Amino acid sequence: MTENEALLAIEEIRQHLEGVSFVAHRDASQVLPVVRERFGAEAALDWLEHARDLFFHDREAGKAFIRNTETAIEACHCLDWVEQAGAFIRWRGTDKALEAFMPQVGEAIAELGAEGEQAWFEIGLRWLGRHLESGTAYFRTSWRELTGGKGSEGIEELLAPAERLFQERRVALGSYIAGAMRVRDLVGPDGLGQWVRRGGDILQASRQRGEAFFRLESPESIGLLLEAVPGYRSRDHARLLQLLQQAWFGRSHPFGEAAWIPGDGRPLADTDGATIYLPVVFPDRDEAVAAVIHVAGHIELGTYDADAIEALFTEAGMAHPPVDADQRITWRPLYAAYGDELFRFQLLFDLCEDLRVDAALDRMVPGHLHRVLELAGRRVPPGGNARPYWDLALASVRGALAQDTLDERLRPLLGPDARLVHAFRIANRLFEASSELPTPDMADRDAAYLPGRGPNASRPVYPRTPGEGEGTPEEAEEMQAARDEDGAGQDESPDVQEDPDWSIPPEQTGGSGGRIGSGINTATVVTGTRRQRTTEQVGTGHPEWDYRDQAYKPDWAWVQEKELDERDPEGVSAIMAEQGATLTRLKRALQMQKPQRMAPKRRQLDGEELDVEAAMDFVTEKRAGSSPEPYVYKHRTPQHRDTAVMLLADLSTSIMAPAESGEGRVVDRLRAGMLLFSEALETIGDQFALAGFASKYRDNVSFYPIKEFGAGLDAEARATMAGINGRLATRMGAAIRHACARFRHVGADRRLLLILSDGRPADYDDGGDPRYLHEDTRMAVKEAVDKGIHPFCLTLDPAGSDYLPAIFGPGHYLVLDNVNDLPRRLPEVYLRLRSA
Amino acid sequence: MVKKFIDKMRGVERDVIQAPEDADAPFYAAQAGEVAFFQAAYQQRLPVMLKGPTGCGKTRFLEHMAHKLDRPLVTVSCHEDLTSSDLVGRFLLQGEETVWQDGPLTKAVKEGAICYLDEIVEARTDTTVVIHPLTDHRRQLPLDKKGQIIDAHPDFMLVISYNPGYQTVLKDLKPSTKQRFVAYNFEYPSEEVERGIVGKEVGGMDGELLRKLVAAGRQGRNLKDHGLEEATSTRALVYGGQLMNAGMAPLDACRAALVAPLTDDPELAEALMEIVNAHFGETEAEPAG
Repeated sequence: MTENEALLAIEEIRQHLEGVSFVAHRDASQVLPVVRERFGAEAALDWLEHARDLFFHDREAGKAFIRNTETAIEACHCLDWVEQAGAFIRWRGTDKALEAFMPQVGEAIAELGAEGEQAWFEIGLRWLGRHLESGTAYFRTSWRELTGGKGSEGIEELLAPAERLFQERRVALGSYIAGAMRVRDLVGPDGLGQWVRRGGDILQASRQRGEAFFRLESPESIGLLLEAVPGYRSRDHARLLQLLQQAWFGRSHPFGEAAWIPGDGRPLADTDGATIYLPVVFPDRDEAVAAVIHVAGHIELGTYDADAIEALFTEAGMAHPPVDADQRITWRPLYAAYGDELFRFQLLFDLCEDLRVDAALDRMVPGHLHRVLELAGRRVPPGGNARPYWDLALASVRGALAQDTLDERLRPLLGPDARLVHAFRIANRLFEASSELPTPDMADRDAAYLPGRGPNASRPVYPRTPGEGEGTPEEAEEMQAARDEDGAGQDESPDVQEDPDWSIPPEQTGGSGGRIGSGINTATVVTGTRRQRTTEQVGTGHPEWDYRDQAYKPDWAWVQEKELDERDPEGVSAIMAEQGATLTRLKRALQMQKPQRMAPKRRQLDGEELDVEAAMDFVTEKRAGSSPEPYVYKHRTPQHRDTAVMLLADLSTSIMAPAESGEGRVVDRLRAGMLLFSEALETIGDQFALAGFASKYRDNVSFYPIKEFGAGLDAEARATMAGINGRLATRMGAAIRHACARFRHVGADRRLLLILSDGRPADYDDGGDPRYLHEDTRMAVKEAVDKGIHPFCLTLDPAGSDYLPAIFGPGHYLVLDNVNDLPRRLPEVYLRLRSA
Repeated sequence: MVKKFIDKMRGVERDVIQAPEDADAPFYAAQAGEVAFFQAAYQQRLPVMLKGPTGCGKTRFLEHMAHKLDRPLVTVSCHEDLTSSDLVGRFLLQGEETVWQDGPLTKAVKEGAICYLDEIVEARTDTTVVIHPLTDHRRQLPLDKKGQIIDAHPDFMLVISYNPGYQTVLKDLKPSTKQRFVAYNFEYPSEEVERGIVGKEVGGMDGELLRKLVAAGRQGRNLKDHGLEEATSTRALVYGGQLMNAGMAPLDACRAALVAPLTDDPELAEALMEIVNAHFGETEAEPAG
């Protein structure tokens, strides 16, 4: 065909188009010269033919083809894609796919090469043939993201599982692709395979759940992903992080889980002033340590002190907002004043406050600032709007270390007297003087924080009273009254402004409810209910000590003995299998102990061997003229009746909480611990009994005997231990008194009452006065000692050292701060106690 | 000096009762009022009980006080097989004769020494009964086997130590025994005092290193009751300093003296090392040794 013929044909088609569609004709006429100029008339004709065919096949498709031509040519300088676009004619309704294909194709050719692009296109085409919507979803996904940086092979890899899923389970690509890309980017192709297999299983069980799984919307999917994502798992290292807090600050704050899922911005730690919320995974250990120290530093250094927050509101000239139902306070009204510039101010404020806290921390934790700096050096600085803030923060840290000139406005924050309100003041000054800084959005904001840092007020906080616990009750009441007053004044005013930052509803952030050691929620539950109850006096009555009257209330607490009816025989074997290694080690240790246990009693009247030393004494004394008793034998005998022990387990609700570190719940460790303990004792041959207790009100203290003294350790007792569950509260005093009665007929030199607890004594009717049951427990312990029974408390409550010395006496308790250790430690502790 | 030299020539054999030498008193830095307390107790010859964690300086304190008061000191470390005759004395056969051999307590009672029963709870219960008559107004030591009663020398003083720890729950001292003593509760010294002690004991240590060492050790004490049964003792700090003085890298020295002996728990060790790292971190970059 000559050029003229081609031009003639083009003109024909144009006229045809003109008759059909004004827009198509106009757009085509606009693009046509460009194509002709660069590729010649023949290519132009070919292009126009395709445009026409596509247009008659589907008007939108044709328009998309024409509209995107220039961009495509611009990107790849060729027309290879024209043929490919023509292939979309094969099916009806491909216009949306083509619309998505066209803007991408030029770039794809340029970067993947002709072959790579061909592969990309063909995979898409295959999907279009299988399922129109899947194909559309394919082309709608950016080719760059699909490859994952590995070219067309990356795409193959990503979609291979999808083909199987589609064939076997008819899962559309649209439900798969977005989640899968995220999973692949986080955990690599192997992890992807695992994720898909699990998803397939779930899909078989329920279509809805399965699809939610693939869309990364179901908790199981996120959980699986979290398990596979690489990095430093805060849950696995919770104990270390707790220990570090303890080491640096002398106390530790409990951890919660931040609502971060992989691929969703940066993992940042934050706090509500009481609990530190950590993302599941940190990029590395140093960042995790830095984050924990930093956030705990905020709590320790007064960022969340009630008076600091109050000063903040006074400074801002605003009324103190009311505390919410959980006694928490929000800073929301403060930020609201900054309108659209909210994030700009928030970043500056956080920068100032973080600098203040980190500088103060550097004095407590040597090298803290260096660590932050070093971590920041390891990270790729963020781009876009976040960059200036990142640089600013970095410069301030360098300045604080005198490695750089410090912005003089920030200088006051480095002093030991700097407070939250100073940071606020300085942040305001910076804010006014820095209108040139870009306005970040939420993603920019998260990216702008230095490693270890994060938004300081991302959730409502429990305001802290400095020197908590030292204040007199009167002061606390006054403060409460003041709060109430403030609250009353504010209640009617509607919330000032919606804040996009506040996506977390208060319910989700959780109270102190289910955490280990927090016992039951007090006060709110109690009021009112007590008055309505009539007390039933069933079971055994025990007195209770009332410290306010300094007198016993006779027959006050009523204990009923009940049987635990949940049995779990399979659980026994599961636990035994799981703890097999520990059990073996324990048994070996017991074997080692055996000869020691058989150690001869020296200086006996009768026995198998002569006690040479005693015999010498005897002979010499006799020679010396006295008439000594002939205690000259050694007698070897298993000292069976030496020690009798009763393990009394606190079965309150709190044991159902998830364990602070590792998988599972506290109760799992408790079950395993009790089982190992009983196995160990059975091996040694000491007399022992097992029981649990729980309570609800003073007339309803339940005592659950699991194994009595003298009874054998049978399958039923084991099954009961494996089936233990938590319920109700902890009225420890009554339980101790009741348990002591069990020792009455036990003939042993040493009688030990081992109490296994995870929280302070508390009950529903203690009126929110923790001291009442503390004092009663202390008296119960004293009574036990008077009866010759040694109570010893093993607790899982990290705060145990605060109140246990007063109840059990120093040295008569042990805080097990790693719940995973319980199964191993429980028998060990007993053995040490008994060998002492 | 000469005496010391002769002692050296003789080897290790020394009588338990030793009058204090003329040299300087063993170094001891007072934490609070313990010196005044002890002097008052000594003046009235009251039996004394020293309580406190391991390695906080109880024994050193006594050595120091004995020297200061110019009294000989008899130390008996109690163990579970220690019987009353180990303290009081026993008959020995010598040829066809029997000879009475005084135990360390009897010697101290006779010669007016300070008798120090270290970790008294460890001993068998019959030993605690022996000391009862010594601790009240009678100040007598009955020798049942000889049918004698010894009135204590006017300068005799009884001191026991006692470390309340959870291993001894079943073996606590009886209240009737405890209340016969006046007690002093030892804690680890304040940071400044502790720095002085470690500096003096180690000798010639770099001031900055010393400061870091003591700070790191003290920080570690926060982990007591959180898995650590015994906290970092002043003695351990001294050992650490000595290792550094001998040329060990600070990190390694701390690991050897402050971390490894305290715990077998990897996480706890990691936490302790984290503290050490924070204090000595800068030197980490330099090659060890």
